[in-house]
Amino acid sequence: MIHLDNVSKIFPPDVSALRNTSLHIEAGEFVSIVGQSGSGKTTIVRLLIAEIPPDSGQINIGGWDITKIKPHQIPLLRRQIGVVFQDYKLLPKKTVFENVAFALQVSGAPRPRIASVVPQVLHIVDLDDKVNRYPQELSGGERQRVAIARALIHRPKVLLADEPTGNLDALNSKDIIELLIKINEFGTTVVMVTHNKEIVNQLKRRVVTLDRGLVVQDQKVGKYVI
Amino acid sequence: MFIHAFTRGILFALQSFWRNIWLSLATVFVVFLALISINFLLAINIVADSAILAVQDRIDVSIYFKPDVKESKIAEVKSKLESLSQVKSVVYKSPEENLAAFSQRHQNDAQIQETLRELLGNPMGATLVVKAKGLKDYPVILSAVDDPSFADLIEEKNYDDNQLVIDRINLIADNVKKIVLAISLIFSIIAILIVFNTVRIAIFTHQNEIAIMKLVGASNWFIRFPFIFESIISGILATILAMLFIYPLLSLAQSYLGAFFAGASFDLVGYFNGNFIMIFGLEFLAIIIINIFSSLVAISKYLNV
Repeated sequence: MIHLDNVSKIFPPDVSALRNTSLHIEAGEFVSIVGQSGSGKTTIVRLLIAEIPPDSGQINIGGWDITKIKPHQIPLLRRQIGVVFQDYKLLPKKTVFENVAFALQVSGAPRPRIASVVPQVLHIVDLDDKVNRYPQELSGGERQRVAIARALIHRPKVLLADEPTGNLDALNSKDIIELLIKINEFGTTVVMVTHNKEIVNQLKRRVVTLDRGLVVQDQKVGKYVI
Repeated sequence: MFIHAFTRGILFALQSFWRNIWLSLATVFVVFLALISINFLLAINIVADSAILAVQDRIDVSIYFKPDVKESKIAEVKSKLESLSQVKSVVYKSPEENLAAFSQRHQNDAQIQETLRELLGNPMGATLVVKAKGLKDYPVILSAVDDPSFADLIEEKNYDDNQLVIDRINLIADNVKKIVLAISLIFSIIAILIVFNTVRIAIFTHQNEIAIMKLVGASNWFIRFPFIFESIISGILATILAMLFIYPLLSLAQSYLGAFFAGASFDLVGYFNGNFIMIFGLEFLAIIIINIFSSLVAISKYLNV
């Protein structure tokens, strides 16, 4: 499902975010990528959504060879990958419904489909009663659930979550992780970048540990070891 | 697909305009001010032109004929002058009219009145009063009158007296036109830059939204469309507001300036009415083009996500 082969990424002037990193994730897995700040975790997510190109190596996600992707193909790739960010990245002047609907609208989905699919997804994330609220009227946990709903709207095969609990308290973090587990159980591959030790240890799923741009540990049922 | 994107673009634009109402109103206001400045300059241009025309209209050249010249000869000169493309009008004044006018002019001068009474016949000849289409046309007209076959008929021409004045007016008119054109150009450039930067700042405030849209899979054109429509909405509103604002101002200016143009034709409101499509249509088109261009330039900076 996701293949990184000998990928390197250097940010000017000479910060090596990734150094000949290889990582293979199979369909249906729930993988936590952990590591200290600057270890290259977020760089992996940014590479996978073609936000930045690698300097060398090959990246393949869901059949897309990102190293050869053309600019006009990037929106198509992003519609097939669900992404959840630490800062939610919601459109502030759009309601909950509109934020989720927007991800469908960009692909030209007809209005009736949007009207039927969006409420279903908002029901999954338990936000049925907040459809007309604006992001600033929601709590952090609720905002993250909107972001997850938006990521799920295309029924992606892969969900990338970059520090999804980074701005949340313990209770909201637990809710979000439970939601991600539920999504994974429906068959979606979940890749979560985090440095939340407690969550990683409770998950008892595959843990990939990065240190200064290198994979230093990859355990099937791992723990946060740094 | 295209119609979907198009209608959504309009919907998003209206939505964004309304939900960012203060930012939208600020943009409309700046565009409105730019349009008002341009129209103000246009009005000044018209006033300057009218003033020059009013002065030009008061200038004519009189050709005084000798008293014994026959009317048929004068008619010949008149028709020759009328055949010139530079001539606006030629008015014939008979010796009797000239005498009456002279007498009227000096009605309080007892000595002149006494002399006129003592004279047996009319000492005045006929006159042709010639008006040219432009000040620069007078030398051409007068060279036509300088025809040797007319030399014996003409007593005097007053062009030489007027030449200095005409030359100065010509110079002033040319300079006024150049100055107004230069100010118009400078103002237009300033207005364009202000509108350009206002739109850029408005889009700058949306840079995070643009990045988010890109990250959730929006294509560049899907993002650009609403901003372009929004800039068109701003342009439409600013033009309508400018139209609503400029007419009362023109009427006010008309009533004040009318007094300065007593006798001459000066109709500021009429000019704007007569050239409504030309003035506001062009301004609207220019504003829309500037707005669209500014939007495209501003957005392109934030699309590389």
